[in-house]
Amino acid sequence: MSRVHRLKFILWVVAGLAAAVAAARFTYGLGATTHLSDATPWGIWIGFDVMGGVALAAGGFIMTAAVYIFRLERFHDVVRPAVLTAFLGYAAVAVGLLFDLGLPWNIWHMMVFWNPHSPLFEVGWCVMLYLAVLSLEFFPVPAEEFSALAKVRRALLKFRLPLVILGIGLSTLHQSSLGSLFLIMPYRLHPLWYSPILPLLFLISAIALGMMMVTFESHFTAYLYHRKGETEALASLGGAARWVLLPYLAIRFGDLAVRGKLGVLAAYDWRVGMFWLEIGTMAVVPLILFSIPRTRGTRGGQWAAAGVGIFGIVLNRIDVGGLIHVGSRSELYLPSWTEVVISSGVVSAAALAFLFMMERFRVWERRPVDPDADPLKLPEFDKVGTTWLGVPAVAGRTVYSLAFIFAASIGFALLTPQPAAGRGIAPQPVHRARGGDILWIDGNLDGYGVAFPHARMEKRLGGDASCVKCHHMDLPRDKNSACSECHRDMYLTVDAFRHDWHASPAGGRLACVQCHEQGQPRSALSAKRCEGCHKDLVPAAAAIPIKQYHAVGYVQAMHELCIACHRQLAQQENKPDFARCTTCHKDRRNRVDAGNPAPRDEIGRGILLPPIAK
Amino acid sequence: MNASILTDTTKCIGCNECGIACKKSNHLTPDSPREWDLDDGLSARNWTSIVEGPEHVFARKQCRHCLSPACVSACPVGALSKTEAGAVVYDNTKCMGCRYCMMACAYGIPRYDWGEAVPYVRKCNLCYDRIRTGRQPACTEACPTQATVFGDRGTLLAEAHRRISEDSGRYTNKVWGEFELGGTSVLYISNVDLSFLSSEKPAGDVPLPEETALAMHAVPVVFTGVLAAMAGLNWIIQRRMKIRSEGSDE
Repeated sequence: MSRVHRLKFILWVVAGLAAAVAAARFTYGLGATTHLSDATPWGIWIGFDVMGGVALAAGGFIMTAAVYIFRLERFHDVVRPAVLTAFLGYAAVAVGLLFDLGLPWNIWHMMVFWNPHSPLFEVGWCVMLYLAVLSLEFFPVPAEEFSALAKVRRALLKFRLPLVILGIGLSTLHQSSLGSLFLIMPYRLHPLWYSPILPLLFLISAIALGMMMVTFESHFTAYLYHRKGETEALASLGGAARWVLLPYLAIRFGDLAVRGKLGVLAAYDWRVGMFWLEIGTMAVVPLILFSIPRTRGTRGGQWAAAGVGIFGIVLNRIDVGGLIHVGSRSELYLPSWTEVVISSGVVSAAALAFLFMMERFRVWERRPVDPDADPLKLPEFDKVGTTWLGVPAVAGRTVYSLAFIFAASIGFALLTPQPAAGRGIAPQPVHRARGGDILWIDGNLDGYGVAFPHARMEKRLGGDASCVKCHHMDLPRDKNSACSECHRDMYLTVDAFRHDWHASPAGGRLACVQCHEQGQPRSALSAKRCEGCHKDLVPAAAAIPIKQYHAVGYVQAMHELCIACHRQLAQQENKPDFARCTTCHKDRRNRVDAGNPAPRDEIGRGILLPPIAK
Repeated sequence: MNASILTDTTKCIGCNECGIACKKSNHLTPDSPREWDLDDGLSARNWTSIVEGPEHVFARKQCRHCLSPACVSACPVGALSKTEAGAVVYDNTKCMGCRYCMMACAYGIPRYDWGEAVPYVRKCNLCYDRIRTGRQPACTEACPTQATVFGDRGTLLAEAHRRISEDSGRYTNKVWGEFELGGTSVLYISNVDLSFLSSEKPAGDVPLPEETALAMHAVPVVFTGVLAAMAGLNWIIQRRMKIRSEGSDE
């Protein structure tokens, strides 16, 4: 396989995985597919896809400015790929945003409902307009191939200079406004990052990133298509990048000094480490590498400097976008694998579109040939099955589509348990109620429970005969099994039957046909009922029927059991307080300290219990 | 009238009747703790909760209905608005789900329907439908100890200062919400520091929307400035190139 072939294969695999995750994202919602929470409403889809994506696409306005405004002809060969990268970058931002928005079908609302006070409103409009400008700037390149579009192409080229100037203006605005977004959160952002000049810092670092991204992209495509890189032009670009990075460093530290936050650097905090990692990779290392003539002038040096710098600035966007926020919750937000897959999938799709444009249109003066499309090459065989896949061009497409479908199916397989967990309720095993005459019912030991006068209730409801009013099911060889035996989770419905146990040789040791009739489909419907074997499972006079062998959550069971009677009594005896929460859950001031179990046990024995209202 | 709520934490017994009344009045479905919840009891289905602070103080946590709300200024489509009555309300037909309001709120109030495929932002709306028709919010109506009361902001502020001056031993001399971040419609008086009510620690009296105002006002200036500068530079450079080429021709 050639380099391009291999890369495309990987990109299609990632895109396939992302397609499966995308289906889950839109079916089950954000909670099931992300680690976003009320504490961290913005995650990697904003930090990387949107903020990183916009900054990564800054190469477009930098290079058009260099070539069409400053007339630096030596950059002529990199301007078309840079505009294409910018166009696809912004398109990727828009697509990434669709995943992140809770109501993506309402994205057009930004055009209709205006709130000019909002920086996000401004960013949205600028991105929309700039995407339009970029498409007009790039359109002449594909239009070269179609003679019918020649007129449109010539007309567009006449407006190139105004378009370029408009693009620079729009880019300046929204690159900086991505920083303005965070000005409203002075108490949320870490003091090392929050600054009134965030917009300026964002603009300068975006300019630096644009330059480094052009370098990286140029070398990468040169490597892919075995082409000589633009090393000389890029060396002068690297030299210019120094004069962006140096002021950036000066302004960043000057700003810290002016705000008196330099002392924060001495604090022992992982965020401070993050700050140094960010500063080191986004500015210091590229600055050094671009300053040494030997590294600035060579392909390897340029590649390293740009790579490190891109990592650093994207890290900066992810940091500001949510990673280093303070005061929200002590635990750290880390993206789920599904979030990472979607992010990489959007990048992969953009990269595939980029390679397609490269091969199909004259993005370079001399268009690279698709190494798989050569009709004189021999047909290819599948490496594993030795199946004939057709001529190389067709073989490539066959392999890519198979890779995509295979990856998507793996994605669907991985996702199956996800929606179930997506209910977002963490399993919480129930602790049994303690005590005797007075039971302390507090299943999750949070100290906020109910002191239940078991003995008195028993007497009131009719002595020994009253057990079945609440204990509606007994475990085998048990009488009046405790509620927590079946209602084993605080909030989740659990399986009270335990099929696995009944079938396992170590447990029930039952053969299938002992419950499922031979020849019938084996399902819960056709199976023998529990009472068929466990004669004493359901007490004769049980007041609550057992409809299914799924036990609802403990909280729901307790509430439904008690509240139903209490409501009835409240009406019958005209005691409205009877149905109030506080009738059973006493004044929270009297609650027992959850961290100290001793008093609760004493309450259970009926020693410390507050007098129960009549 | 500037609708307002005054909560006196020294009177609160933590019974959560306000929370139950809120659930009933706003038709909020039962809730179980979810992975994406914060531990303050608020969620998309609980718009007010009781938070226990130091010295067994109970305080209601709910939307503060700021006088100049950060969420309203942040929302790009104007789905959130501060009504004349004082309530900050949400219009789900405009919302596009960007969650910038959740990021912007310094008190961490707005919550999200993370579990839904069609999610909305959820928070207290000061029972806007009730106060519009002259009734009071469900929570203040339900409070058995008058710990949380409804009224005009001016009247309630005067009442708060009256209580503090009459029984200075009982209260810290501060009305929370009088000046903070430009003032809020929900006021608190207490005997302890109420900063435990929010995970972020807002300090200062500058309304949050003003933090972005400067940058937003600069937008048209910067835009025209950049356009003019680029056009001018291009003109100068082109002219110099022309002169140079003419010079070399001669």
